[in-house]
Amino acid sequence: MRARDNPFRSDRILSLRYRLQGGSWEGLLGRFEELGRRAAIVGPQGSGKTTLLEDLAPHFRRGGYRVRDLRLDTETPRFHESFLDDFSRTLGSRDLILFDGAEQLGRRAWFRFLRRSRTAGGLIATLHRPGRLPTLWATRTSPELLERLVEQILGDRARDVRFLTSRLYEKHGGNLREALRELYDVYAAVNEESGRSGDVSPLPAAPREQGAMARGPCC
Amino acid sequence: MSRLALELADGKTKYRPGEAVEGVAFWELDEQPRSVEVRLFWRTQGKGTVDVEVVQSLPEGSRGPRDRRPFRFVLPPGPYSVSGTLVSIVWGVELVTEPSGESASAEITVSPTGEEIRLGKVIGR
Repeated sequence: MRARDNPFRSDRILSLRYRLQGGSWEGLLGRFEELGRRAAIVGPQGSGKTTLLEDLAPHFRRGGYRVRDLRLDTETPRFHESFLDDFSRTLGSRDLILFDGAEQLGRRAWFRFLRRSRTAGGLIATLHRPGRLPTLWATRTSPELLERLVEQILGDRARDVRFLTSRLYEKHGGNLREALRELYDVYAAVNEESGRSGDVSPLPAAPREQGAMARGPCC
Repeated sequence: MSRLALELADGKTKYRPGEAVEGVAFWELDEQPRSVEVRLFWRTQGKGTVDVEVVQSLPEGSRGPRDRRPFRFVLPPGPYSVSGTLVSIVWGVELVTEPSGESASAEITVSPTGEEIRLGKVIGR
């Protein structure tokens, strides 16, 4: 199977938007105001924190804010000192910082960041654990959510992998990103095995899929 | 409702490096665009991070909401259009309008034969 035909390719996964279960965008924005415009999106890896942050951006832009994106991850776990100095000098009351990966900062660096960002009109940071800022939203996952995302990707063909989703959910400890990445491999392996290419083929029955899932990527 | 379209000359979609990709971009927008841009690009699709490179672009700053623009891009030597199990390189031409962010695109293949190159399966030990 060609990578471009794999329904679980990364650009397709990235196009999935956050499902605000049990809440509304208006409610979330209202709560952000109540929290003094300094708040966190809290949740484990692969639970949709980054996606929610991205989805909040247009709401703030429509509200007249200038959205300022910051991102840290394991490959880039800290800011260069000069970057933060320059960044903080440009902040004003209409700037809203969306900081993805704030858990990368140590305690001291976190407080330094807070001091330097205090002139901004607002701050939302993503964190793995609550505590550094009041929690605006806690991202949660469930096997049912994974199932719904798979349905969104595969449509009617999702029934072919329904038996797999709860297994993958458990295997990856609720990390939906990793579960969807494994479905990429499953789909590629099964379609390679069946000798099909081009159009996506449905997965075979359960016993064969177990074998396919055990294998890694093939090229 | 806005309409955007790209038409490749003679409906050609298969190209060799060094050849020219020609066509016309059309748009009918609900509002006056701030900019209209036609781009030649390639991107990766697959399991990993998405890479995108805009190889050439034809920006337009002062176009009306209903207009057309012929374009011509000469293709570079590579990369070729390829597909394996983990990654594909996909070429295309796109029309992008701002501030609405609306776009239209047309996919092409670029290789010495004009066909997408299929990468073979790598068998590990």
